[in-house]
Amino acid sequence: MNKLKVLQAWLWCVSLWPCWLSHAVPLDCKDETGSLAQCASISQEKLLDRVIQHAELIYRVSEESCTLFEDMFVPYPLHALRSQGGNLCHTKPFPIPGSKSEIQQISDKWLLHSVLMLVQSWMEPLIYLQTTLNRYDDAPDALLNKTKWVSDKLLSLEQGVVVLIRKMLDEGILTSSSIFEHTLTPYNEQSPEVLESVLRNYNLLICFKKDAHKMETFLKLLKCRQSNKLSCVSY
Amino acid sequence: VIQRTIISKVCVYVLCPVQFSLPVSDPSRGPHFTGCRSREQETFRCWWSAGIFQNLTEPGTLRVFYQTKNALSEWQECPDYTHTVKNECYFNKTFTHIWTSYCIQLRSVRENITYDETCFTVENIVHPDPPIGLNWTLLNVSHSGLHFDILVRWAPPPSADVQMGWMSLMYQVQYRVRNASHWEMLDLESGTQQSIYGLHTDKEYEVRVRCKMSAFNNFGEFSDSILVHVAQIPSKESTFPTTLVLIFGVIGLVILLVLLIFSQQQRLMVIFLPPIPAPKIKGIDPELLKNGKLDQLNSLLSSQDMYKPDFYHEDPWVEFIQLDLDDPAEKNESSDTQHLLGLSRSGSSHVLHFKSDDDSGRASCYDPEIPNPEDLAALLPGHSGRGDNHPLVSRSSSSIPDLGVQQTSEVEETPIQTQPAVPSWVNMDFYAQVSDFTPAGGVVLSPGQLNSSPEKKKEEENEKKIPFQLVSDGAYTSENTARQLSADVPPSPGPEQGYQTFPTQAVEGNLWNGEYLVSTSDSQIPYLLPEAPPVPILPPVSGYTVVQEVDAQHSLLLNPPSSQPAICPHSPNKHLPAMPTMPMGYLTPDLLGNLTP
Repeated sequence: MNKLKVLQAWLWCVSLWPCWLSHAVPLDCKDETGSLAQCASISQEKLLDRVIQHAELIYRVSEESCTLFEDMFVPYPLHALRSQGGNLCHTKPFPIPGSKSEIQQISDKWLLHSVLMLVQSWMEPLIYLQTTLNRYDDAPDALLNKTKWVSDKLLSLEQGVVVLIRKMLDEGILTSSSIFEHTLTPYNEQSPEVLESVLRNYNLLICFKKDAHKMETFLKLLKCRQSNKLSCVSY
Repeated sequence: VIQRTIISKVCVYVLCPVQFSLPVSDPSRGPHFTGCRSREQETFRCWWSAGIFQNLTEPGTLRVFYQTKNALSEWQECPDYTHTVKNECYFNKTFTHIWTSYCIQLRSVRENITYDETCFTVENIVHPDPPIGLNWTLLNVSHSGLHFDILVRWAPPPSADVQMGWMSLMYQVQYRVRNASHWEMLDLESGTQQSIYGLHTDKEYEVRVRCKMSAFNNFGEFSDSILVHVAQIPSKESTFPTTLVLIFGVIGLVILLVLLIFSQQQRLMVIFLPPIPAPKIKGIDPELLKNGKLDQLNSLLSSQDMYKPDFYHEDPWVEFIQLDLDDPAEKNESSDTQHLLGLSRSGSSHVLHFKSDDDSGRASCYDPEIPNPEDLAALLPGHSGRGDNHPLVSRSSSSIPDLGVQQTSEVEETPIQTQPAVPSWVNMDFYAQVSDFTPAGGVVLSPGQLNSSPEKKKEEENEKKIPFQLVSDGAYTSENTARQLSADVPPSPGPEQGYQTFPTQAVEGNLWNGEYLVSTSDSQIPYLLPEAPPVPILPPVSGYTVVQEVDAQHSLLLNPPSSQPAICPHSPNKHLPAMPTMPMGYLTPDLLGNLTP
């Protein structure tokens, strides 16, 4: 349990990083007069490290949430769904390769954009998940807290990735997720029956875990490339 | 649509085994997959078994087909059947996609039968290789030389691309005493080193480590164990005296404690087991009870609040209240209580009726019971009684007591329950003379000496409070109280008067400790009713006379011939010598002494 405590402590420390992020690398570093004020800055490497820490934590928490949900609501024979990796996760605007070799060939730009797209595509489904979980009678508090935490941290992650994109790619970007609304209509349905709702949420959690893994992997690859280009190139 | 597909897939997938990554065959089944594994998340292998169908063991009869769920592509055959290993299908890097669902089928093409099908994602079947380079270094040894701590290090498996972040590994270290059966497990570690504390010197330990992917639960194989051993250094510092001193100290302390307890046994008993206090009544010494000094006890008890005179007042009320309900004219709506309390009385005429009561143990004429002055007042013709009027209700003196005088004035009643202090007292003789007996055993009273002088009445009316305390030891008031009473009373006008009227509030039943005088029938009423023929105005006679002198025969002489003797036929108190005027009617012991010749 020491590890858990360390993780939690780390989690709290890391949860502060949006403050550092906004303070250190502000999106808009101007005071009231409009002139560029002296802002405390953070190096790109540190920023990337922290973004990666965020992504790792989100991934782990997503896995824990999935386990909690599975233990609480999913009948045992249906646990096999998890090893099948989640079906019918909502489709992305552009496909993401799955093989290592293909991934290694993705450019930095596409890595960052993919991460941003993933983050933005999960914001509303997580809110939907939270509302349905709140409607459950006996949802454990840990599960509710974790999903809430993940929703909050996704926002921070999005901010960090936006800053990285701006810094590394010199691009300005919109931080709205409005482009993904049309894909979310299936999640706006009312859940009439409990089992269907449970299965839908289970599927949601599995898909989210998968996508969180993608985010983490891409960011780590990016980090690897930043530090040591040679070892990260496929051979 | 989503719901239906989910449900359908559930029905399909439930048939699939959940965990089948271990390549263990089940000989009782037909052809089936025995497991799929990936070592580094870049390639994976699947194995199958022909099972009991021995005719299918030849290579080529059973074939594997796979399908990636993403694009819902067609079923493709296994890209590589391993030649060296039997019944193995190998998927290399190009065919391995993570974040992708695979389904594989075991088919017999000749018969076109699908014997087995299973689905998975590659991440879920990853079992990492064991870490390499396990070694240990000594951190420190304890002062006693019995324990030591070590730091264990290792390196991630070379096949896992940790640097790129392709795999995030978590490690688990285990150790045990060499050849023991139980392994100690430490918590998961994300780094590549771990400290082990509290190992014993002179013991040989085995340490091993394994790893898994951070978000999954599939551990890889254990690494090779390493041996850890630290020889015990003989410590110069001897621990012997310390232990001995400690033991002796404890023993001494115990002995001291025992001595203390035994020496202070009594005090400790008091402290821990305090005596239960005996019951106590405030103000009363238990010694009194023991020695049987009841007089003192009585005096003490009587002074207690609970033994108020009221208490004794109550009993006679309860016992002797008799209300005549026969006379319909007298029945009112007002309750008994109101009558008792003397409330809301108008100046109507009253008739006081007495009921015969056979079973209340009434005193006879012999008992020197004091009839209630109110009763007597009611008996007088001046009164018109109300049937349920309580005999002890006091009335204003104005209405009392001239014989033949019609009662017209308002009867002023005061609550009975008021304390001895409130008097609208009755200005009449405290004692009444029994004039006759009725055949039925009732007693007819004759009106006693009435004190009708207006000034006296006024004086008596002016009396607001006559504090006195009544002691329940008889029908007579005590000497003191009588003195008190009489002190407020002007001296009797004459010896004929006999006893003074006591300006008492005879409401307190203490005075009236005896029984009421009852008339048995209404036939007696004529003696009492105001409408009755004028009551024979008897000369003022008092039932009690003053003892004047004692004659030679040691008989008490009542008032001299001018006063009427007591009519009570059985009264022994006759012929008493006249005595000097005394303010009260009692014969005190000293006075009696004077009388004795």
